[in-house]
Amino acid sequence: MASLKDIQRKIKSVKNTQKTTRAMKLVSSAKLKRTEELAKRSRVYSAKLTEMMDEIAQKINDVGADASDNLFFRQNPNPKKVDIVFVTADKGLCGGFNSQTIKRVNRLLKEFKENGVAVRLSGVGRKGIDYFKFNQISMINEIVGLSSSPNFEDAASFITEIVNSYVSGETDKIVLVHNGYVNMISQEIREDQLLPVDVSRLPKNATHAKSELDIEAEDENALLAALTRKYIEFSMYYALIDSLAAEHAARMQAMDAATTNAKEMVKTLSIKYNKVRQEAITTELIEIISGVESMK
Amino acid sequence: MKLMKLEIITPKGVIYDGEAKQVTLPGSEGEFGVLPEHATLVSLLKTGIITIEMADSKKTDIAINTGYVKVDESKVTCIIDGAVALHADDSDIAAKIKEATELLKSAETSNAAIASAVSRVEHIGKIR
Repeated sequence: MASLKDIQRKIKSVKNTQKTTRAMKLVSSAKLKRTEELAKRSRVYSAKLTEMMDEIAQKINDVGADASDNLFFRQNPNPKKVDIVFVTADKGLCGGFNSQTIKRVNRLLKEFKENGVAVRLSGVGRKGIDYFKFNQISMINEIVGLSSSPNFEDAASFITEIVNSYVSGETDKIVLVHNGYVNMISQEIREDQLLPVDVSRLPKNATHAKSELDIEAEDENALLAALTRKYIEFSMYYALIDSLAAEHAARMQAMDAATTNAKEMVKTLSIKYNKVRQEAITTELIEIISGVESMK
Repeated sequence: MKLMKLEIITPKGVIYDGEAKQVTLPGSEGEFGVLPEHATLVSLLKTGIITIEMADSKKTDIAINTGYVKVDESKVTCIIDGAVALHADDSDIAAKIKEATELLKSAETSNAAIASAVSRVEHIGKIR
């Protein structure tokens, strides 16, 4: 039987936890707004870059087999070695946000293994890195701190290393996995093939078939390569922002649930406290009465 | 005179979005000017200054590091890594000039290109 003091102490501790979770929820909602703003600004850039990329890719496709010689666009039906890049959060306490990403990465690892494909893993975010380290799955590349404050330069230099090994022929495919933002209450695992660029997945735009395209550079491959790299770097950066927004949304939700649960718990504990107090009073009363009775 | 649509976009936001009479761009093969109804082309841009002649014939300069441009008959789209706009009627033009100089100096290209761009920025600062 818990004593009155024990219950009181427990109520206090739950109330303190509730304060923390409520504060964390508020912090996350403020940060989410900021991240959304960031995402909105880079969306315009992303849209334009994709549009330009798409236009060139379509032109290349129109030319036919000859153009698919380009390293970045050549599809490889039987990849031998694949790079998986995942993005998780640096911090926990955000529900199933990180574990969902990890689960998907594990599934991919298993799938590739069954097909006899060698896989290299690179990770952003402490949570995912810790998990794979604990399970003794080695990573070629890891970075902590980038997922909580995305910046374009670091994201670009991180992905460039991976792109370079693709260009040198070490790997045949790059897949990016992250947990993306859908809305305030839901996130969605996104799995994108960065390289080779999947032309069929770029949005179709009918308007640009009309005009001819003149590439004003001495080596058009250089332009295309530079543009493709920029496209990939930006995809990486955008994945980071998307992931951050999703993380804050997930944390908001988790903390909201925790606050509600704490409230519930305080309620049950208070009822218990009152019952125990009442019981103690009743016992005392009976003792006094029986004492008086025996003195008669 | 005909006008064309001009968009200058960086990862941090839209720098310029509006009509223009003429725009001069620092292409990787040399500076080139674009008027409305120019033939479609795509080019790399190197560190330098974009000069825009706006619809009201006023001129605006924008310092950029690197980027791409896509020109078609009615529209010019510049996708730039980093850019600082130097508007003529800006009150804090000195601060903007400083910012632009820093941006240019941090660009990864030949020193000659940076030097020429920086001196142009300084010149813009003097004449205003």
